[in-house]
Amino acid sequence: MTSALVISLKVLAVNIPLLLILGTTLGWLLAKRTFPGRELLHLIVLLPVVLPPSVLGLYLLMVMGRVPLLHDLGLLFSFPAAALAPLLPALPIMVQAARSGFASVDSQLEDAARTLGDGEWAVFRRISFPLARRFLLAGLALSSARALGDFGVTLMIAGNIPGRTQTLPLYIYSRVESLDFALAHLAALLLTSVGLASLLLVRRMEGTGHGPLA
Amino acid sequence: MAPWLEARFSRSLGTFRLDVDLVMDREIGVLFGPSGAGKSQTLRALAGLTRIAKGTIALNGRKLTALPSGQRRIGFVFQDLALFPHLSALENVAYGLKGKRRGERARHWLKRMHLEELEDRKPLQLSGGQRQRVALARALAPEPDILLLDEPFSALDSPLRRSLRRELKQLHRETGTPILYVTHQIEDVCALGDRIFFMSEGTVTGQLPVDRLWENHAVEAAWRSIGWGTLLTGEVRDFQGGIELFWEKGRLLLPPSTEERGPVRAFIAPDQIKILYPDIPVDPQLAANILTGTVVETVHVGSTTRVDLAACGMTWQTEHPREAYASLDLKEGETVRFAVRPRSISLLAPTGPDRGGRCR
Repeated sequence: MTSALVISLKVLAVNIPLLLILGTTLGWLLAKRTFPGRELLHLIVLLPVVLPPSVLGLYLLMVMGRVPLLHDLGLLFSFPAAALAPLLPALPIMVQAARSGFASVDSQLEDAARTLGDGEWAVFRRISFPLARRFLLAGLALSSARALGDFGVTLMIAGNIPGRTQTLPLYIYSRVESLDFALAHLAALLLTSVGLASLLLVRRMEGTGHGPLA
Repeated sequence: MAPWLEARFSRSLGTFRLDVDLVMDREIGVLFGPSGAGKSQTLRALAGLTRIAKGTIALNGRKLTALPSGQRRIGFVFQDLALFPHLSALENVAYGLKGKRRGERARHWLKRMHLEELEDRKPLQLSGGQRQRVALARALAPEPDILLLDEPFSALDSPLRRSLRRELKQLHRETGTPILYVTHQIEDVCALGDRIFFMSEGTVTGQLPVDRLWENHAVEAAWRSIGWGTLLTGEVRDFQGGIELFWEKGRLLLPPSTEERGPVRAFIAPDQIKILYPDIPVDPQLAANILTGTVVETVHVGSTTRVDLAACGMTWQTEHPREAYASLDLKEGETVRFAVRPRSISLLAPTGPDRGGRCR
């Protein structure tokens, strides 16, 4: 189980920064900017929520296996595939949270910062980001938990190779297949605790402090 | 010498067109007009928060048109103040300051606004008046070339408004920072302004030094240009134990605290004139001044309805939410009763050759 745990932690280590950067950027764009194709972008970002993981996995398999450059990288059924697979189903959760967070920041506050000398990056860093922070943390907690628990997409593009691509959810599946329930339970308990902890964190974010969530 | 602020620009927002021509010295200008006239849009365009289609804005000899908001050296106090909720009063004031001494300078401004004890408080922990002062300090601390205020006192009660207006005037005297103040309240105009800019339907229709608000032809023309509110000329006198505003064809009771006597000009905002239902008891506050008139014109403007009434030899402009009098048939030529609350009559009285107009 240790190797599955280590792989899962490594997957998380790759996904948390990616979720934060991509989710925050997309959420900010969707909340604060108007541009042609915004609605389309929003739809595409949300699509993984309604698609079955096997469908998502199939599309990814096609993209990574057929597109010439991606194909040459040889990502399929390797750790990079296991690391990137959970990003797709987890990202919409982060984007939605970030979008709500940035939309809750009164644009007059951002205008006030502009009149006080801030450029757009400074407005983001000093006003929008800190005021949306609680939404971002809540989104990060939920989306990371989703990434940690990914099963279908990972199985489709990374397989279930112990020591290379077998994450905790896949490990549980393998243990159950070989009727080794003790270890399956242990791993399940671990994932349940992480899920509960992230929900508690979200509740805390919603419960106290400034911001429209309070 | 070139004027301090010279702004000539236009921009379109859907069907609404903003056409601004504004020239101002180092004085207090008041941008006055009904809601929806484009006053706030004008301030936003000056501050660079919205783009202008064409035209120029020059301030203190610098062309601002191509500069981003942050480089225009314009202080802005927003209607909702827009204090940063996650920062303390001190951090709010220091926000626009740069360099090592920013803390020191921010403290200096807090002290100047009598807020030195409250520097660690967050905006939500401050009272309405204290928040106004923090917002003023924050806008003034970077020493802007002009201070723009977008009806910042509109949510406050009268005594607080008065004291903040006094403070603002004193700040103007001390710092020499010119101020452009947006309002639809006539008492702000008289209490604060050196110069009044009339604005209506996106256009600056006229301007006037406030001390000339008393001169008949100038005011009538300016007032007609914005076509808003009721302006009447008469005389204040004591009458049967009360005080009344008297003119050739009518009279209105004024509040007992009225100090003016003699010839005055009075302004009544359209939302302060109430049309009365024929068979419903009248609020005692309104009962003092009930007039009967005929409907001249009914115009629906978005969600509000404007009704012009003829009574006592003049036209009275009233305004109410569109649905408010749905059951009354306010057709042209109908006779209606309406009331004017004594406290809602703003008097503009000449108080001497040098001091210009003044309001109550």
